[in-house]
Amino acid sequence: MGMQGDFYQLLKEQGYVFGVPGQAGTRQEMTTATTILAFKYRDGVLVAGDRRATAGNMVMYDRTDKVLEIDRHSVMAIAGVPATAYEMARILEHSFKYYRRTQLQELSFEGKLRALSKLLKENVAAALAGTGAVAPIFAGYDGGQATAKIYFYDILGAEFEGVEYAVSGSGSPTIRGILHYVNTWGEHPLSAMSEEQATVQALRLLTSAAEFDSATGGVNREAGLYPVMKFITADGVRMMPDVQLRSLFESRVSRGA
Amino acid sequence: MYDEPYRWVEAVGNRRQYLDDQFKEGAPVVGVAYEGGILLMTMSKGTAKLYEIYDRLALGGMGHPADLEKLRFNLLEMAHVEGFNRSASDVTGSRLVKYGIAPVIKQAFEEVFKAPFIVKIVLAELGQKAEKDGFLTINYDGTFEEKRRDAVLAATSAVEQKMAGYLRQQSIASLKDAADVAVRTWAIGDRAQRHAHEAVGNHDDTTAGLDQPPTDSETLYTHLRQCLSEKTIECALLDRQIQGTSKYKTLTADELRALLPKDLNPSVA
Repeated sequence: MGMQGDFYQLLKEQGYVFGVPGQAGTRQEMTTATTILAFKYRDGVLVAGDRRATAGNMVMYDRTDKVLEIDRHSVMAIAGVPATAYEMARILEHSFKYYRRTQLQELSFEGKLRALSKLLKENVAAALAGTGAVAPIFAGYDGGQATAKIYFYDILGAEFEGVEYAVSGSGSPTIRGILHYVNTWGEHPLSAMSEEQATVQALRLLTSAAEFDSATGGVNREAGLYPVMKFITADGVRMMPDVQLRSLFESRVSRGA
Repeated sequence: MYDEPYRWVEAVGNRRQYLDDQFKEGAPVVGVAYEGGILLMTMSKGTAKLYEIYDRLALGGMGHPADLEKLRFNLLEMAHVEGFNRSASDVTGSRLVKYGIAPVIKQAFEEVFKAPFIVKIVLAELGQKAEKDGFLTINYDGTFEEKRRDAVLAATSAVEQKMAGYLRQQSIASLKDAADVAVRTWAIGDRAQRHAHEAVGNHDDTTAGLDQPPTDSETLYTHLRQCLSEKTIECALLDRQIQGTSKYKTLTADELRALLPKDLNPSVA
């Protein structure tokens, strides 16, 4: 099987088990809520996520990175149970590397999408039992077609292409409407925005989500906490440093105090 | 008949002779450390001989492509499973070699009823700091050696010593130095191999093997130019400057052209 470059298969042969369902009916408060979003701008895709992790009413952690770089050209943003989501990200990261190194070519973008879909499918039992639901966004630059792409998934593993944008997490209903409005009647459609304009939009969107969803972190200026923002272009994945986010937030987002 | 100890020793001896014969016309491999990382270099006709193994590990090989492929998969499998189950920092060249493939190669070599691996391997490892960069070489019988600044593979240990001797006299700082020294060292090795090969064929000239062939750069470049009519320079880096976790990169023909002396055109096309 190794000759096919399938790392997940290799793990399973070694006795690794992914997606074990918990016992049904013993539902606990899981850390799940969040807001993640991705949209296409002029040079590629912007993927952003707030940094709060919650369990029920409790804020577990305020410095979570939910926008995970899987390889040089793809990013997975996670909404759902972090334990399962991080494990998926780790499997994907190793799968793509293993494929590239054994087969001496990059896994196609479709292949990468399928790999995530497969993991979600194997995780269905755990998702339905309430211990492992994950609804991620997968975004990347498709070198073959020289274009940026966004896909989002439901917890059962169905994949949908977000032609212009995609959102997920508990804060997403708030900003889905805003994205539609901005994209349709705004000064520029999302796809015509520069990197700076796109960043300002993403900051405003996450701030709005935090306004209406207690489980979304938004911006905490006192603690110097800004959302995670990653840009995927033909050159690869890049993260925007907090200093830049702060200056954009102060000049273009904040309404004074 | 090999169950008698004497016969077994004899069989292993024959096997050495057979294997030495297999490498006679193989292309040497050169690995050198420079200030920004490690460079591996060889010349090949089509089939690649340099590969990425893990984030900070690269492989160079000599010998039978199918055997090399088998060991390459072994290394990839071990490295990725370990990297997933533990962490990337736990994947080290020394563990992969000492507890991974060296015992496998040794066993195959000594089981005289089965086919041995026709391979020599160099594993280059980029450390977190430059002082930790290093190489491991494995011979066809499973013997391995650890090296710090450079490592070479060639048909015989005499040729390898000649190449190592030449390398010792060079000073390498930049990537350009590394590429230049690597191709010259490769030429030293290739010339010595051909020389030894011809000397064996020509019994009248008993002094042929003792001659010190010229090692001035011009002679070496001329030799390289001749080789380039049928082979391509293959060059890979473990580059500390590369963003992200994977540090491996192969040099394209254009990148090589910029690094090598002007009249060396690295590819046939």
